[in-house]
Formats: sequence, structure tokens, C-alpha cells
Amino acid sequence: MSDVTQASVVPRRQQSAAAGPAVPARDHGRILRQLLWGVILVLCVAPFMLVFVISLGHKIEGASWELGFSFENYRRVFVGANWPEEITYLYLQKLYYSLYYALIAAVLAVVTAFPFTYLLTGLSRRAQAAWLVFLLSSLSLSEVFIVMGWDVLLSNRSGLPMVFKETGLTQWLKDVGWFGQLREWGLANPRNIKFKTSVLATVLTMAYLVWPYAVILLYPPLSRLDRTLTEAARTMGAGPWTVMRSVVLPSLRLPIFGSVLLLFVFLLGVYVAVTVFAEPAKQTMAVSVYEAVRGNTLNAPFGAAQAVVLLITAALFLVAGQWLSRRGS
Amino acid sequence: MLLRLFSRVFLGLCAIMVALPIVVVSGAALNSGRTMFFPPREPTLARFGEFFITEPVWTQALANSIVIAFCSAFLAVLLAWPVAFGLWANNSRASRLLAGLGSMPFALPPIVFGVGLGFLWAFAGGLGTLWAAILSHAALFLALPLVTISIGLQSIDRAHLDAAATMGATRAVTFRTVVLPQTIPYTISGFFFALVLSFNEFIVTFFVSASAYSTVTLQIFNSLRNGYTPTMAVAAITFIVVSVVVFSAVARWGDLPRLMGAEPSKT
Repeated sequence: MSDVTQASVVPRRQQSAAAGPAVPARDHGRILRQLLWGVILVLCVAPFMLVFVISLGHKIEGASWELGFSFENYRRVFVGANWPEEITYLYLQKLYYSLYYALIAAVLAVVTAFPFTYLLTGLSRRAQAAWLVFLLSSLSLSEVFIVMGWDVLLSNRSGLPMVFKETGLTQWLKDVGWFGQLREWGLANPRNIKFKTSVLATVLTMAYLVWPYAVILLYPPLSRLDRTLTEAARTMGAGPWTVMRSVVLPSLRLPIFGSVLLLFVFLLGVYVAVTVFAEPAKQTMAVSVYEAVRGNTLNAPFGAAQAVVLLITAALFLVAGQWLSRRGS
Repeated sequence: MLLRLFSRVFLGLCAIMVALPIVVVSGAALNSGRTMFFPPREPTLARFGEFFITEPVWTQALANSIVIAFCSAFLAVLLAWPVAFGLWANNSRASRLLAGLGSMPFALPPIVFGVGLGFLWAFAGGLGTLWAAILSHAALFLALPLVTISIGLQSIDRAHLDAAATMGATRAVTFRTVVLPQTIPYTISGFFFALVLSFNEFIVTFFVSASAYSTVTLQIFNSLRNGYTPTMAVAAITFIVVSVVVFSAVARWGDLPRLMGAEPSKT
């Protein structure tokens, strides 16, 4: 069918090009196309190129920088500024935390979003639209607001820690003896439990940040899932959990994996949540990029080098994911 | 039956979880004092007046946000249309590459794109100007109208095009009478997606503005460091209301489940 229509479209185009006064029109088309390419190259591609070019330059005292050609900044990212006399992995550690937070948060978001989306696609079209409005609204909500909300919820003076204390839950935890364990995990100070600053709060906020994205990524494959398959399995006597495990999950292996990957890459660049919730010693590379470009240290080429490392890490994961999914299918 | 109950409970829990921080922020807006409390103490609506009318810091920031969001969304749609159309009509290697390059800023970590744009505008002399922010957001959110318009173009029945052609319509006429009307809802949806995301964008604006002006998100981030004020929460409410209204409009006049990738509805 589609071949037939393709075939009928092509001659029509040739016809109109040959018959009509097509020369000025084609000229317009070419100018428009060149303009479009120009705009997209300048706006969408040039910024990335500039980051790369400037990462090869070096800083001049007084918060400025000049172009150059050295890999000094990259050396500093990987083995420290004083290599080979001494090796420090300070910035690699920041990269490690970027990956660590992003991975846990992405997995957490997809694992919780999957059953939700499965149930969502079983609802009526109207209900689905209502849910999507709700989710899109929370999705488009700025990182700044979400962090603000969780900050109020988790802060020691007003949020959940107060609830724990007022309801006597803190006392109960102390009585049972789990309080010491929480302190070891960094989730309590001597008097009460605390979430700021902790890995838990960071990861939780990041997972929340991408949760609507996870639903929206899983929505198309789940809503196109052939329900006759699951119904067939049900009529053959399989329980709902068996159906989930043996029919739904295997057929959606790729979308699930792909969603985790995309969310992971997105989370590599999270800035506000990490600055607010992570301990100073466990900050990520995105924060460090900001510090170098706009913040205290003001070393734009070094910041650019870190941005390139972050970008290449993200790109590597995307490419590896593509490769794996092609092999899987 | 047990399963249905379980699924209801689970959906409800998810809704609560998603709404929780939003509710907290909104509640905090009603505080009369200078600090955030939840539940609010001595609820008042005075903060709304501050945000919309009396405090120039916030009104100016709101005006900047609105200008950037509308102009950049318009520009993004304007750029996305020919790219999506080229992709649909030719599907050549070049048009696929162009669409891919145009979607790149949205797919990669925004902080890297923000840093790059900061350098770009420093060279071009646009750092700290509103038009630089407009162009930056147009580039960042180009992918959204590109996707929605592409979905719209794909949903056009090829038979209609053939019918128009056999009845002797030129390409321009076909475009005006068949292609354009069928893709307008998708174009508008793309516009609104870009609008709302631009409105809420933080990190790119942060690098491009160079502290020369502020938008609402920037202003909130600044106050985040100097301690909360309930006025910020009013901003949050405003944003949520705008998002809900916009997406409800998209759901009302467009096919939202279809836009999000569900099967075309059978009605």
C-alpha cells in the first residue's frame, strides 16, 4: 500500500517541476533550505562546538581565558593538575557521583512508573487524558519548584522530620534501636532523623523529577501492547502475576531498558537538586561545571572540559544503548 | 476484585506522591509571615498582590518569562515546520540529519548546552539580552514542535493527497486545503509544549542571562539561596495553573493520548 502511494507521489513532483514556472519557486526553496541549515547549525550545533574548542584553551588570571591547544584541562579532570608528581581523582569522583545518583534515580523512577503506566493504559481514554494533563503539568514544572517543594517537605524544621518527632515515631525508633542504624546511614542527627543533606533525599528528588518522563516514555509501548495476548494468557489460566512476568515484561524489555537509559542521561545534567540535597563532598560534575563557568572558581576552559567529559559520557551511554537494542531486536 | 482494589490504591498513591510537593508549595503561599511554614500560619492572600502587582522584582521577572516563553515557542514552531515538512515530504538523508541536529540540544544534558550558549552569546555580543534568551530557548525546545508536527503530518491520510492531486490541485493548493488544516492542532500542541517548558526552564536561562535580568525561575533560584519567602510559592502556583490550563486545552482540542503515542482512537 505505502509503496503504491510513494510511486504516485514521485511522478507528480517531477511533473510540476517540469511544467510550471518552477525555477523561481525552486530558488526560494533553496534559499529557505540554506537559511534553515544555517540557523540550526548556529543555534543547535555551534554551542557544543564552542564548548569543545574552549576546553582546549586556558585561563588567564583575572577571570578571563584565551584559546589554545592543550589537553591540560582534561588531564586535570582525569588525574589532577599536578600529575605526574601526584594523582588526584577529585573530578573523576564527581563524575562517579553523577553516574551513581543518575543510575539509582532512573531505575527507581522506571520501576515505580512501570506498574503505574500499565494500570493507566487500562483506563478509559477520557481518564487517560485527565491523567496525562496532570502528569504533563508536573513534568513541565521547573526543577526549581520541585526542589523547593521537597526542601520544605524534608527540611529539619518544618517537614517530615517534624512529623516523625511530633507523632513519637522518632522516640519509637530510638526505643527499638533502629535509630543508631539510621545515624550510621547519615539519616539522623543525635536528636531526630534528618534528610538534608543525604543521598536518599538527592536520589528521591531526582527520581521524582523524571517520574512523569518515565510514564510518558513507557506510555506508547504499553498502550500499543496487544491486549489479546494477555487475555489469551488469562483464559489459559495464568494468574495476573504470571501474565506480567511471562507476557508483558518480556515483550517490553527494550522500551524499559531504553527508558532507564534516557532518564539516566537526562539526570546526568541535574543541577539544582544536587546543590540543595547532596553533601558538599558528594556533589556531581554538573555542579562543578557551574562552579568553574559561573561560580567561585571562574575557569571557563576547565569548566568546558568537564562539560565535554559529561557530554561524551552521555553520548557513550546513548550509543551503547542503541547498539544493545539493535542486538536485542 | 482484590486486584482492581489494589490497582485503584496504587494509582491513588502515585497521584498523592506526585501532588505532594506541589501541594506543600502552594500551601506555603498563604503564609502571612516572611518564612515558609506548612501548614500555613495566619493564611492571607497578600503574597499574590506582591507577586503580580506591587513588587517590581517579581513583576519584571514575570514579564521577562512571558516574553521569552511566547517568542521562543513561536520561533521554535516556525523553525520546526519546514524541518518536519522536509522530513515528511522527502525523508532524505539530509532532512533526517537536519531533524537530528535540531533535536540534539533537547536530548543532551542541558547544562552543557547552557555553557555552550553562554560562550556563543559572549562572542556574538548577545549575552544578557532578552533576544539571546529567546533564540536559546527556541533552539532548546525545537524538538517538541518538531515531534508533534511530525506526528500530525504522519496522521494525514495519503488517499486525501492523491484525491487532491487527481482533481488537479497544485502542491500549494493541496498544502493549503489538506495538509495545513489537518496539522494545525498538532502545531498548536507543539507551540504549547515549547511555551510551558520555556516558562519553567532554568539552567539555560541561567547561563544566557548573565545576571543582567531575571525570569521567575531565576528569581526563585536566587531566593532559594537567600532563604525562602512565601512570594516564591505564589510564583509556583501561577506556573502550575498555567501548565494545567495549557495541557487541558491541548487535551480538549487535540488528541492528547495520540500525541503521547497511543494508538489512534477508534471513535
